[in-house]
Amino acid sequence: MASRLWASRAASFLKISTFHRRFSSVLKDLKYADTHEWVKADGTSATVGITDHAQDHLGDVVYVELPDVGASVTQGSSFGAVESVKATSDINSPISGKVIEVNEELSSSPGLVNARPYDSGWIIKVEMSNSGEVSSLMDSEQYSKFCEEEDAKH
Amino acid sequence: MRMRLQRSIEIWKMGTVNYLDALKLQERLVSDRKIGKIPDTLLSLQHPPTYTLGKRRTHHNLLVPEADLQTMGAELHYTERGGDITFHGPHQAILYPIISLREIGLGARKYVENLEQTMIELASLYGVQAQAGESGETGVWVRDKKIGAIGVRISSGITSHGLAFNNDPDLNYFRHIVPCGIADKGVTSLRIVTEVELPGDEVIHEQLVGCFARSFGFSTLSWKENVSILLTQNKRCE
Repeated sequence: MASRLWASRAASFLKISTFHRRFSSVLKDLKYADTHEWVKADGTSATVGITDHAQDHLGDVVYVELPDVGASVTQGSSFGAVESVKATSDINSPISGKVIEVNEELSSSPGLVNARPYDSGWIIKVEMSNSGEVSSLMDSEQYSKFCEEEDAKH
Repeated sequence: MRMRLQRSIEIWKMGTVNYLDALKLQERLVSDRKIGKIPDTLLSLQHPPTYTLGKRRTHHNLLVPEADLQTMGAELHYTERGGDITFHGPHQAILYPIISLREIGLGARKYVENLEQTMIELASLYGVQAQAGESGETGVWVRDKKIGAIGVRISSGITSHGLAFNNDPDLNYFRHIVPCGIADKGVTSLRIVTEVELPGDEVIHEQLVGCFARSFGFSTLSWKENVSILLTQNKRCE
């Protein structure tokens, strides 16, 4: 990691563009929103977090704004925010429902979102109001392709 | 062969704008940008003496009681942007880009890096070698003094707030805060670090906009002047 950082610093000093191609990990059994959140459905409840692609593009997360337990979330709408590199970015919910649990650990260890985006960096657990919404999300293959297309834009 | 799209941006030259007015305008512009009612837009302006806090409300970095700020003729505002406490004032060039990061496939980290690059390039126009902060210290530095600050909000992929570059602000105002929450480093300005005589603020603003356009690959800039009239319309609609 350190040598890659040195290489990209050296390259920008010499004004060469580095081929910084890093493959983000995508998990097969999750579903994905085009705003880079993932959801793991388990019956009528679901766990939500942000993807590896998202955390890589955010930078080191220093703060996570969590909703209250009991708050409602709506598919496609913001439920919280993360702060990284002096930027606050909204997190959107991939599904609608009621927040039944939030990951309190993120208050003291926001970096979990970067280090373990798919497990201990989970953000909220939701009791879904319409589990059918999950089928409108992307599967792992579609999401991988979506990320490739987005990254190719610049 | 992939063709590079001609990307265009509308620049609003606004002069000195009260912080809250600028905040309300940005909120309106972000909604408009989100539904595609307006193109990518950049506000170029200055603020009267104003202290602002970010989303984390790091009050502890304000070193004087709030009441004292009023006596000094400064305002204090709370915002949803990232970053810590900072000061804005006359002779500090501010850019608030309202752009769609989703359309250009940029994440927060790359967006902020480009904002840093914008200010680094401006400094270099005056023979000053500035650099981006070490990891965790977003902003632009000349040796160990901060010359440019960044605090951004990204909502549904649309940016607001942005960057502030110290042309020649009164640095005494920074003594009342721990700037950006970093205790052992100071602030500086272009006036202090350059050997070149500075042109007027308007010239520096235009150069800063040029550096922004280059950092972000905007090839077409349309300039809008006398924008205060749009602020008045903003008020009438409420």
